Amino acid sequence: MADNPPIIYLNNAATTWPKPPEVLKAVGQSLSLPVFGSGRTTGSQGEDYITLAREALAGLLAADTPEHVVFTQNATDSLNILIQGFLAREAGCHVITTELDHNSVLRPLHELERQGSIRLTVLPFENGSVSPDAVEAAVTPDTRLMVTAHGSNVLGSVQDVARMGELLHEHGVYFIVDGAQTAGHIPVDLGKLPVDAYVFTGHKGLLGIPGTGGFYLQDPESIAPLRYGGTGTDSFSLFQPREMPERFETGTHNYPGLAALAAGVNYIASIGVEAIAEKAERQTAFLIRELKEEPNITVYNESPALPIVSFNIQGMENDDVGFILARAYGIVARTGLHCAPLMHRAIDGGRGSVRLSLSWFTTDGECRTAAKAVKEIAQNANSSFGSP
Amino acid sequence: MRILRSVRHKSCADGSFMKEFLLSEPVPAGFFAYLENFGEVEALPNLGEGFYRFEKPDWFSIKGLAGDTTVEVRFKKEVMHLTVDFLYLLFTSYREGSVDLSVLKQREQAVGKRVREHLYGRD
Repeated sequence: MADNPPIIYLNNAATTWPKPPEVLKAVGQSLSLPVFGSGRTTGSQGEDYITLAREALAGLLAADTPEHVVFTQNATDSLNILIQGFLAREAGCHVITTELDHNSVLRPLHELERQGSIRLTVLPFENGSVSPDAVEAAVTPDTRLMVTAHGSNVLGSVQDVARMGELLHEHGVYFIVDGAQTAGHIPVDLGKLPVDAYVFTGHKGLLGIPGTGGFYLQDPESIAPLRYGGTGTDSFSLFQPREMPERFETGTHNYPGLAALAAGVNYIASIGVEAIAEKAERQTAFLIRELKEEPNITVYNESPALPIVSFNIQGMENDDVGFILARAYGIVARTGLHCAPLMHRAIDGGRGSVRLSLSWFTTDGECRTAAKAVKEIAQNANSSFGSP
Repeated sequence: MRILRSVRHKSCADGSFMKEFLLSEPVPAGFFAYLENFGEVEALPNLGEGFYRFEKPDWFSIKGLAGDTTVEVRFKKEVMHLTVDFLYLLFTSYREGSVDLSVLKQREQAVGKRVREHLYGRD
C-alpha cells in the first residue's frame, strides 16, 4: 500500500472509511485475549463486547430496552430475518414498500411475491420521499406490513417515518424501517418513533467494520425466529429460548466486529450526532452548489438530509466519470444503480449515477478537491469525445 | 507490454463481465491509437494523461488512462472464451512506432467468424 497515491474516499454511503483510531484499537484488543462470551467459557478476564455494543447502540438510538437490540451480519441479514419472520405468520397478506428502497428490501419482498406468499405494492416517490398520505391510501384491509428505508442511499433524503408509523399503526400495519443510511448520521429516537423494528448496519454511519448489523425490535413475539441453535443459555432445552436477545442471536458472535461497533458508537456519541449532521449538511450543500455551476452536470438531489450527492455529466457514462475520478484524481466514488434499481428508473431512466458520499472524517479540503475534479471532467466532456 | 494478471472482476448490470488487468508497464497513449485498427476509440485527452475508451462491438471494450498500469476490460460474456486470447495478443503485439498488423488482422478475422457464429448462427 505504501506506493499507492493518497485517496479521497467519498464512498461512505457504502462503507465508511477511515475508521476512528478507537475502532481499530478495539478490534486489536478484542483479538488479543481469548473470547470471554457469557455462557461459553470459564474465563472472565476480558471485556463483554457484546453487552457493551448492545448498550451503546440502545443509548445512541434512545431505545428503552438494550436486550431488544439484536445483532446480525448486516442490514440485509436483519431485513431478511424481520420480513420473513413476520410473514411466516401472515401468509397471503398485502405488503407495501417504495421505489426508493434498496434491493435488501426489494429482493426479499419480490421473491415472496413471486412465490405467491404476499401481494406487493411498490409506492412511487416524489421529491425524494413517499408522502405519508400516499402510504395510508395504499393500505387495504389485508395490509399487514410496510417496509421502507428511513434514508435514501441515492438521494440522501429522509422519509417522514414518524407520520407514516402513526398512520400505519392506526390501521394495524406492522412497520419495519431500514435505517442503514440514517443510524449515526442523524438523530434517531426509537423511544418516540412509532416503528416496530428499526434496522441498522455497523459499517456505515456507525463507524464499525463490515460483518455487523442488527435491528431493534419493540415486540419480540411479533417476529418468528428463523435460526435455531446454541446460545450458551438454557442448554437443557431442545428449543430456542424465547428470551431476548437469544431468541434471535444464535451461534458465536462476531466479537471483533461488535468491539468495533461499540467503539464506533461511543465515538459518535462523544461528538454528538447533531454535530455530525451539521457538518455533513454544510459540506454536502457546498458540493451541490459547486456542481450545479456546470451546466452539463445534472444533480439529482438538491437539498439532501444525508451527506450524499448524486449526479451525472451529460454526454458521459457515469461509470466513466467514476473511473476517471479514481484513476486521474484518486477520488473514490460509486457509480451505477447503487442497488436501488427502481429509484434509478425514476430519476435517470435506469442509467445510474455517480454518487459522492461523505463521512465525519471528510475534510473541507477534500470536498473542494472533489468539486474541482468533477467540474474539470464536466468541462472536458463538454468538448465531447473525439478520436485520439 | 503484457497483461500480468487480473486484479478485479465483476458482473455488470448491462450483462457484460468486467476484468481489470494489471500491465507490465504504463499504457502509452499510442496504444489507444493503435487500437483504432480494430474498433472505435474515443478520447478525452485533457483528463490526466488522457482517458481512452475502445469499443469492439460483440467482443469487448477497454478503458484506461494513458500512463496507468491497469486497464478495465468489459467482455461480452457469451463469447468471452473466444475473445480473451485476442485481447492478450493486442497488448503483446503493440510496439511504439509502426506495428505489422497482418498477423493480428488474420487472427481477428478468424475469431470474428467464430464470434458471429456463436452469437448469430452460421451464415
